[in-house]
Amino acid sequence: MVNFSDLNFIFRFLPIFLVAFYLTPVKFRTWTLLFGSLLFYAVGDFRMLPALLAAVVVNFLFAKAQTGEKSKSLLFFILAIDAGMLIEFKILGQYVDKALLPIGISFYIFKMISYQMDVYRGKVDKDAAFIDVAAYFTMFPQVVSGPIMRFDRYLENKALREKTSLSEIAESIEDGLRFFVAGLAMKVLLADHLAMLWKDIGTIGYESISTPLAWLGAVTYSLELYFDFWGYSLMAAGIGVMIGFPFITNFDHPYGSGSVSEFYRRWHATLGSWFRDYIYIPLGGSRKGELRTIFNLLVVWLVTGFWHGITLNFIIWGLSLCFIIICERLFVLKRLPAPLSKFVGKVNVLILIPLTWVVFAISDPEMLGMYFSRLFPFTGSGVAVNQGDFLKNIGIYWTVLLPSLILLIPRVYDFWANRRNRLIFNIIWIILFWACIYSLAGAAGNPFMYFKF
Amino acid sequence: MKILKKCPILTGIVAITIALSIVSLIFKDTLYSEYVDKYESGDIPLLALALKGATDEVFPWSSGEQEALLPEDTQGADEGKEPSEQAENMAGGEENAIISDISGNDISGNDISGNDISGNDISGNDISGNSEEVYEFTEVDDDYFTDAVFIGDSRTVGLSEYCEPLDSRATFYARTSLTIYDVFKKEYIKTDTGKIGLEEALSRNQFGKVYIMLGLNEIGTGDTEYFINAYTEVLNRIRELQPDAIIYIQGIMHVSEAKSKVDKNFNNEKINARNAALAELADNKTIFYIDMNESVDDENGNLGEGLSFDDIHLKASSYERWHEFLLHNAIVR
Repeated sequence: MVNFSDLNFIFRFLPIFLVAFYLTPVKFRTWTLLFGSLLFYAVGDFRMLPALLAAVVVNFLFAKAQTGEKSKSLLFFILAIDAGMLIEFKILGQYVDKALLPIGISFYIFKMISYQMDVYRGKVDKDAAFIDVAAYFTMFPQVVSGPIMRFDRYLENKALREKTSLSEIAESIEDGLRFFVAGLAMKVLLADHLAMLWKDIGTIGYESISTPLAWLGAVTYSLELYFDFWGYSLMAAGIGVMIGFPFITNFDHPYGSGSVSEFYRRWHATLGSWFRDYIYIPLGGSRKGELRTIFNLLVVWLVTGFWHGITLNFIIWGLSLCFIIICERLFVLKRLPAPLSKFVGKVNVLILIPLTWVVFAISDPEMLGMYFSRLFPFTGSGVAVNQGDFLKNIGIYWTVLLPSLILLIPRVYDFWANRRNRLIFNIIWIILFWACIYSLAGAAGNPFMYFKF
Repeated sequence: MKILKKCPILTGIVAITIALSIVSLIFKDTLYSEYVDKYESGDIPLLALALKGATDEVFPWSSGEQEALLPEDTQGADEGKEPSEQAENMAGGEENAIISDISGNDISGNDISGNDISGNDISGNDISGNSEEVYEFTEVDDDYFTDAVFIGDSRTVGLSEYCEPLDSRATFYARTSLTIYDVFKKEYIKTDTGKIGLEEALSRNQFGKVYIMLGLNEIGTGDTEYFINAYTEVLNRIRELQPDAIIYIQGIMHVSEAKSKVDKNFNNEKINARNAALAELADNKTIFYIDMNESVDDENGNLGEGLSFDDIHLKASSYERWHEFLLHNAIVR
């Protein structure tokens, strides 16, 4: 049920929660949010609920202790606890048993770290009430896979502070629903089907795919990851809007970027800005000379790699992105004439990024090597390759690939977003919703790929 | 009205939800009885019953009989008919009628089903001249498959795609997710003039060998007896359409250990039980049972780990083993 594209979530948990939330008097609404969220988490990962609760209480107490003169050692201490907890569970989950990795830990720990830093910097009020802090850390729209909203955005929620009129409530629910349905459709109608093609390629065996299919696979996996996670983020943001939170932008048309550095400001933006604000800038950012900048970037991308998983491919993935970004910084964007640098930046986004996703996707180094030898077939011709495989799969999957590619164009989504309350879109959205539900009812959907990260 | 103006999408969704829930509630124990367990265990909300039904083409306006896959549902229409009448229907008539009669057979009566029509009649015909002949599996070369047809699911599709020597010689009537129950129902065979069903394809073309591997997709449907009855019907029909062909029943290929251990349906214990029953269908005169698992199994009788990516299908590079097996296990008359 901890999956937004689960029928029980859509038809049981969410409506019941919304009714309960808005029936609760404003004064106690935050409690409804907290208990609803804990219930949600307990259904998904009951065994690891104590870990979440302990982290909430400890973080609240440490922030509370930052009275008057802010203590740096106190901050370091709680940051060490938080980071230690994340690392420990990641190692346990990787090397002992997957079930030991609490759902959403990568996300809620990052929220906690940002909270501690913001309290220390005086950006947020250290005297926030326990109930607010606890609800912020655990809130069900974000606890599983983000977005990593900051505490100051949490406080912008009017529904938790003042009386809201029925028509305001209706408006937030309706608008939240629009984003939710858009995200659901991306996830169910695009990502889940793209996932089938990616799986089919695995079934054939990487040693036996033709080079065109290998490239189609790289594109497919990139699109799958994008619509899976963008879709999830839209659903999460939409649910947030339904209960009064501001819309949190997590994906801002990354594939419209002009460089890889820009791509990662617009891809999973709440994670990128987290790394910027809480690691890159504290290390000195780009203000301490070129060499130090490179070092800082290296740290950020190593941590990003490890955050996604403790396997070699994630480290290679992080380092290769770091390398591309450094190259862009030192040469492409600086030294090349403008039209050429623009061109190279685009090529980086549209060709190098999909290749880095292949590294991201395949954790077995040998299989990864195999895949790249099919992408760039200089070393051999593969085993039992059927040259017709590319056309066959295009024939089957073009109905998913084409809309996915069209949605990469920023203007398409923006066109809808700017006119989303038009009648025609309302009708289309009802149809989209039921198309998703029909598809979900027919087959059990697969959970988000970002679940355990 | 005001709410409709403010929340058109929400209103639309809620209205349809209520409508679907009512439909589901009304037909919960009749039309949708197949899925009701999932609702009662809390796995799916009430309205999902109607949607699950729609996926399986069960609608409130469709009558119960049409949907029959399982024994208790298809009685009625065929009950009173004599076997001979049914056989007539099979030979001529339009496809739908044939199908319902076939399923009617294995369903409606124990007395009718396998016994009368199947083995005895048919093998009897073929046996007549050469009843003493004992056949042994021998090695052949690829040209053996020039007049062969392969009928099967995604695994056979894979064989056609990744075994060039077979694909260039044999005919493949294979389709992903094909089952023994719908092999004669679906129009899945591509021709220049559109898609046709197996019935028509086997009427138009005569083959020397028919290879069948079906049974994995439907392993969760019915029990072994029910499966074997359906299989027998299919064999009979193929025999009628291809009187001179050698029919090879291929044992269902195993799944890998990782899959077999955790799946309550797709496990090798179940596969082995069905294969044992399939082996019984062979008469070793015109119908033979071959089991390619020996060429892909590990020491514990599971599909070898390195041979599959998804625990169910062979990787492209592994199909050669199947091919080799076929080359070494052929009947020459």
